[in-house]
Amino acid sequence: MSDADADALLVDRVKRGDMRAFEMLVVKYQRRIERLIGRMVRDSDLVQDIAQESFIRAYRAMPNFRGDSAFYTWLYRIAVNTAKKALSDLKRDPVLLHSARPGAEDGDETSRAETELSHGETPEALLASKQIAAAVNEAIEALSEDLRQAITLREIEGLSYEEISEVMNCPIGTVRSRIFRAREAIADRLRPLLDTRGGERW
Amino acid sequence: MTLPPHHPPAAPTISDADAWLSDLADGRLAPEELARRCTQWADDPACRRSWHAYQLIGDVLRSEDLAQTLAHDAAFLGDLRQRLAREPVVLAPAPQTAQRSLRQVWALPLAVAAGFMAVAGVLVVLQQVGDGGVAGEGQVLAAKPATGPQFASAAVVPGGAEGRAQMLRDARVDEYLQMHRQALAGSPVALPGGAMRSVDLTMPLR
Repeated sequence: MSDADADALLVDRVKRGDMRAFEMLVVKYQRRIERLIGRMVRDSDLVQDIAQESFIRAYRAMPNFRGDSAFYTWLYRIAVNTAKKALSDLKRDPVLLHSARPGAEDGDETSRAETELSHGETPEALLASKQIAAAVNEAIEALSEDLRQAITLREIEGLSYEEISEVMNCPIGTVRSRIFRAREAIADRLRPLLDTRGGERW
Repeated sequence: MTLPPHHPPAAPTISDADAWLSDLADGRLAPEELARRCTQWADDPACRRSWHAYQLIGDVLRSEDLAQTLAHDAAFLGDLRQRLAREPVVLAPAPQTAQRSLRQVWALPLAVAAGFMAVAGVLVVLQQVGDGGVAGEGQVLAAKPATGPQFASAAVVPGGAEGRAQMLRDARVDEYLQMHRQALAGSPVALPGGAMRSVDLTMPLR
């Protein structure tokens, strides 16, 4: 099961009319979509609007998604097109033009300068994000070698369970166990940072 | 005083109650489980938080600038939910599978066979009629309008002297029709002022 195929179950479920499956895909991809749009639009409120519009368009077009490409590739394309259209509309509307300036329009996911704040992004939010990243890194370092290797091969290298099984020379059931335990161990470190008032909205 | 026997801590095992989220994140959940798990995800905030944490972990491992707070992500999903609530539910047509089910395989031959049997049955009945059976030659099969007054039950019987069919019906119907014809004979119903009125024989709806 490649990373691209990992969404097939949820995509199929959305096509059967299950909105909850779509929400799970949103939770999975919203950060990547926001970052992608953030490369093109500087105003954080506008980034949110365009990201939301991208997901709405993807939801409407879901029956037409045939699975020729990975779901996230298809979703990224929708997001880029939605952002380009929004920028085009902004250029025609001088009232809104001042609130958002276009950046790169090629949809390339290059890293943002760490010290650069988008419009509307607060220093507190940036600090909280850095704390989360630090907690994940510390948790990874604290894992046993087996767990760290398993989660790294899966999440960073994108290997399938079968491939990880070959690399680590262990049964697939062991791979499954190690990946789950690694996620749980990291999540345990994250939860104190994540269980804020925002969690009440879930 | 004797102490209870000491049991070493059991090796950590995967609880299915927790592991399905990890399985789903990697696309390894059994398809038949998905509907139930989607419901669980919607009903259980702890499941949603774990799903978010797992996805966030993957994002941060790939790129630290994808780190985001739960409050931010929850607000995004909350706003999107309001918009999605106004969207019609998407339903894609079921994909055509190359391998037909057993029911589909048998459906066409059975339908053809049933058609043959029906035609054969009709031919047998007609043959019996032609041989002097129950129905006479030239039987009239008139379609009765679905609407309109239903005065009395009627039946077609074969073998009449005229038209080889005779209509049997309640004699009161004939009396009624006769009186009606007499009442209307030669002069249409006239309104004061000379306007013509058409008479509708349909029964009023209650």
